[in-house]
Amino acid sequence: MGWGDAEGMLWTRGLLWERVWNAVGNFLFKFLVIGSAGTGKSCLLHQFIENKFKQDSNHTIGVEFGSRVVNVGGKTVKLQIWDTAGQERFRRETYNSLAAWLTDARTLASPNIVVILCGNKKDLDLEREVTFLEASRFAQENELMFLETSALTGENVEEAFLKCARTILNKIDSGELDPERMGSGIQYGDASLRQLRQPRSAQAVAPQPCGC
Amino acid sequence: MASDGARKQFWKRSNSKVPGSIQHVYGAQHPPFDPLLHGTLLKATPKVPTTPVKAKRVSTFQEFESNTSDAWDAGEDDDELLAMAAESLNTAVVMETANRVLRNHSQRQGCHKPPGALGPEQKPKPSVEPPSVPSGDLRLVKSVSESRASCPAGSASDAGPLQRSQSLPHSATVALGGVPESSTLSSSALSEREASRLDKFKQLLAGPNTDLEELRKLSWSGIPKPVRAITWKLLSGYLPANVDRRPATLQRKQKEYFAFIDHYYDSRTDEVHQDTYRQIHIDIPRMSPEALILQPKVTEIFERILFIWAIRHPASGYVQGINDLVTPFFVVFICEYIDDEDVDTADVSCVPADALRNVEADTYWCMSRLLDGIQDNYTFAQPGIQMKVKILEELVSRIDGQVHRHLDQHEVRYLQFAFRWMNNLLMREVPLRCTIRLWDTYQSEPEGFAHFHLYVCAAFLVRWRKEILEERDFQELLLFLQNLPTAHWGDGDVSLLLAEAYRLKFVFADAPSHYKK
Repeated sequence: MGWGDAEGMLWTRGLLWERVWNAVGNFLFKFLVIGSAGTGKSCLLHQFIENKFKQDSNHTIGVEFGSRVVNVGGKTVKLQIWDTAGQERFRRETYNSLAAWLTDARTLASPNIVVILCGNKKDLDLEREVTFLEASRFAQENELMFLETSALTGENVEEAFLKCARTILNKIDSGELDPERMGSGIQYGDASLRQLRQPRSAQAVAPQPCGC
Repeated sequence: MASDGARKQFWKRSNSKVPGSIQHVYGAQHPPFDPLLHGTLLKATPKVPTTPVKAKRVSTFQEFESNTSDAWDAGEDDDELLAMAAESLNTAVVMETANRVLRNHSQRQGCHKPPGALGPEQKPKPSVEPPSVPSGDLRLVKSVSESRASCPAGSASDAGPLQRSQSLPHSATVALGGVPESSTLSSSALSEREASRLDKFKQLLAGPNTDLEELRKLSWSGIPKPVRAITWKLLSGYLPANVDRRPATLQRKQKEYFAFIDHYYDSRTDEVHQDTYRQIHIDIPRMSPEALILQPKVTEIFERILFIWAIRHPASGYVQGINDLVTPFFVVFICEYIDDEDVDTADVSCVPADALRNVEADTYWCMSRLLDGIQDNYTFAQPGIQMKVKILEELVSRIDGQVHRHLDQHEVRYLQFAFRWMNNLLMREVPLRCTIRLWDTYQSEPEGFAHFHLYVCAAFLVRWRKEILEERDFQELLLFLQNLPTAHWGDGDVSLLLAEAYRLKFVFADAPSHYKK
């Protein structure tokens, strides 16, 4: 639905927040999927979680929540994914461009967030308005990962989420991200610890320009 | 978690102390309950708990049935009411009977819906309203019921982590049954009762001046489908009470609306308005019921209504969610021209162009009136919603501290699930047919959409207390709360919800301390 709307299929972006799930090597990462209305955010999430395309997708009101446990590099990672409404009204009136989305994500979450840009609706290649090259360049300039995805066919959808998770894990392993550090945006998911520390945001990752 | 629907508990316990007790039954809106018949049914079903009803507990529903309908029925010559009035039951009998009704109701629901059968209910469910236990002075009774409610067919635990589509009420067929027609127990009594209700509506509507106060009282418990459209137009204030003035008013308002179209609609491509139009344009195809909305004529009507409303209300403009509020009006009004019980499959191409224009204009005006009452839900930063969610939170903390603390302990924030409840008036949480039934009552209540809705939301949340308390994980809680298993809900469920909401309002309204800690 709304799929054929060439304008709407441009940019879907998301970012990942992360949280250490517990102390025994399991992790909880929080993902936030953001982007303009009608770009396929909910469909990406649905495809990732249910492994199928959501035909009768209603536009999202507020935030909707999804979750999936994945295995990344031998580690169990629970992804907690927040899917947001696309109408700018629900966030800020000034968001008109991808750059603004990104600034916002990095400001509101953390400068260290991991972001992947997803160019969704890759299946609608005939209606493509943004070339792969353009989007890649944008991603590079803004230090984003980038994938072209299709929530319809499922192409690269899983990969987009896993890529984020992998990147975060790598950053933790390399010490670039320290889950223990206050303000890192990462925290233990253990309930007792959680009560001691106020929830913080974390690494974001995220996503997406579109392939369209 | 909800796999055993039969054990569900609908009515929450209230610890609030309320003086008085029911001593007499003066009447009932519903046919007398036959304890023998239902007793047999109970025995036949092993799952029914045999816990004896505690003497001091009285179904909250009873009070509310009485509060909500009996008071208004007072003085009316309802046969059943009189029959019940002839009898004087003691509290224990009353309670037991009511509990049986509710239990029986949940069983029947269980029968109708085998687990896993998420298919929409085509037929309205039998009326589930238990006998009313009016206390003449409206005194409240200590309220508690162990009765279980309808058992949702799809338990959340069966479903995958992302259950939106499964529980998304809109996917259910819209069967506008209006007031339920019973197909099982006491069907003749019920249909008689419904026929009598319809007659009362018709009498009121016939004029020459419709008594709106009476109409509200009558409508609170649901409006029969044949008179729903006209009743909504009256209740919303769109139509005048005077019968003779109605045709001219309609004509004038319809003309006015189409003048707006002529005047403004072309501006949708102007730079100042194109964002608004674009958003509306991409949202409408993502609405439910799809088969209806995607008919080009319907899509265009929705676009026009929403665009005109948006540019005439610049303080809010178009905000996602407002689009949903068009649907009930449109569906109710178009049903006057469509025989099909099932609106999902209704084909508007057979509706004459003139009629369609009238439906469009009427929908616009009625929707405008509704939005007038809740406009701060949609102005910048949506202060109305923020405030309402806050009030809901405080309300729930008072009426069910356990649920409130449970959510808090698991870091579930009310905004995470209740934003949508406010923004879309629960339309995303229950099937469209239930929304329509809900709106019968909202339009009968003073500030129904703004104020009474809060109590409905509180009752709705607490309705799931058992499931909520069973979840011990943030994620599971949130998934459950965002995907409540209501796809099979019918009028009976809404009636129970409204009765509980009425009780909450009765207890908690005008008690500002309840809102303040």
